[in-house]
Amino acid sequence: MSDQHSSPSTSELLAILLARDLADGEKAIIGTNSDIQVAACNLARSMHAPHLWWVSGPGGMVNPVQDRLLPTAGYANIAPSEALLDLPDMIDFIDWKVHFFDFAILSVLQVDRHGNINTAVVGQQQRPRLRGPGTVGISALCGLSRRFYVVVQRHDRHTFVPQVDFICGAGFLSGGTSREEAGLSPGGPCLVVSPFGVFDFEPVSKAMRVRSLHPGVELRQVQENTGFELLCEGEPAVTQMPLPEELSLLRQKVDRQGVLRSSQR
Amino acid sequence: MKNKIISMEQAAELVSDGSSLGLGGWIFNSQPMALVRALVRHGSKELTLVPSPGSMAPDLLIGAGQVRKTFCVFISFEQYGLAPHFRRAAENGSIDVTDIDGPGFAGGLRASMGDLPWIPIPDLGTDLPRHAPEQYRPLPTGPGERRLIATMAIKPDVCFIHAQQADELGNVQFLGSPFFDVMLAQASRKVVVSVDRIVSTETIRRFNHLTKLPSALVDAVVHVPFGAHPTASHGLYEADETQLRGYVRASAKTDAFAGWLETCVRDPASHAEYLDRMGGAVIGALAADGSLA
Repeated sequence: MSDQHSSPSTSELLAILLARDLADGEKAIIGTNSDIQVAACNLARSMHAPHLWWVSGPGGMVNPVQDRLLPTAGYANIAPSEALLDLPDMIDFIDWKVHFFDFAILSVLQVDRHGNINTAVVGQQQRPRLRGPGTVGISALCGLSRRFYVVVQRHDRHTFVPQVDFICGAGFLSGGTSREEAGLSPGGPCLVVSPFGVFDFEPVSKAMRVRSLHPGVELRQVQENTGFELLCEGEPAVTQMPLPEELSLLRQKVDRQGVLRSSQR
Repeated sequence: MKNKIISMEQAAELVSDGSSLGLGGWIFNSQPMALVRALVRHGSKELTLVPSPGSMAPDLLIGAGQVRKTFCVFISFEQYGLAPHFRRAAENGSIDVTDIDGPGFAGGLRASMGDLPWIPIPDLGTDLPRHAPEQYRPLPTGPGERRLIATMAIKPDVCFIHAQQADELGNVQFLGSPFFDVMLAQASRKVVVSVDRIVSTETIRRFNHLTKLPSALVDAVVHVPFGAHPTASHGLYEADETQLRGYVRASAKTDAFAGWLETCVRDPASHAEYLDRMGGAVIGALAADGSLA
């Protein structure tokens, strides 16, 4: 195990930034291969949100809280959980119900200026340049939860594009009031976290803007690596980096095996 | 009462050329891999796949050139990379891909379960209906009502599922999560389940709360210990990360993949020989780790 006091990895940073934004008593759903998402929820539970409720989308385990990160669909998550729901029963609140979930945290192939997300294809749907994994619950979570977060582990122009090639999850569509006009329930993306900074959406145009940049990151550098013009009001704030107690809770109570520190994920 | 136990080879024969095949499990859990390997050896062609969110089961059939078309809810090797053959075949146009979301898939199965032509799902503002108009239909919506679309019934000719145990009558028990398997079984015309072990009907009765697929929903049972390998079987063994990673690596090159197919699929004379090739120590460790939790 590496040094408990070393500086945070990108994954650890993103998990901590997300955890701060999650509130006590909220309900969430987490998909497969979601170490950062699980870490954010379990860290929030061990800090300010002990009653945050989360369910494994594929496996149906509820609040499987332990001191290490395990695959959300894995059997080892059953023993520490409060309930094991059957997926066919969960479908009703996942796929139909409005605002059952307060939030979802999603990884993407592409995210655009208005927070629409793509996990299916880069290029055309038939004969794409890059074939990604697909949509699964992302459409429902973006359309039906009260808000969603986007986690980006590589900040470049391939990921931050003017318009996604395929809308798997609706953000603010073409901005302004277009989400409401499409008949979607109130919600949409609230924050995008990347290795460069934290981004939100300007309330009227619904265009992405800089909320804060991580220490040492320059606005010019972020703009060069973003495929559209980011809004920025004045001098960008500097992200508050993980506090020693946040990092030690993460490493001792949530991710004892250091999954978020290894380069594998 | 009929004994429903058949061999892997008999199971593969149930999948005729041009038919649609449901595949159960979830990514690295309970993929019906022994049945899929038997189907590769059998060689059925021009298949339409209906996979639950999956990894190796759909990807291997695509890599073996047996697939004309697949639904894609989610096909991925997650931390090991994109699904190699699915990706290549979609990018070079050798298979047709119908992108479908969780609501579209679950609703399509539910429609089929109840002999309905379609089921309404919320219009979620995505690009899915535009690319798959045969799967998603617009529905009339009254003023002030939620906007809805229809997802058409999905009815695989056969489905392959993996579970932990069954009796010879076909009562199938899950020691962990059944994922989409129960819906997939109810939606399919013919249901084939591989199980890691056969137990007595007495055992089935004693733990009857674990029976998620009663015998009336099951056509055939195949007894294959470690039948989900290299994916996991809840309560019995973990996924074999080395083999999953090795498959992704071998799939990068045509000759390497041909070698992989020989070693892992075509050469072994039996499932027992396949397990021998994977290594007794490895299989033992997967079981020891997987039965701990």
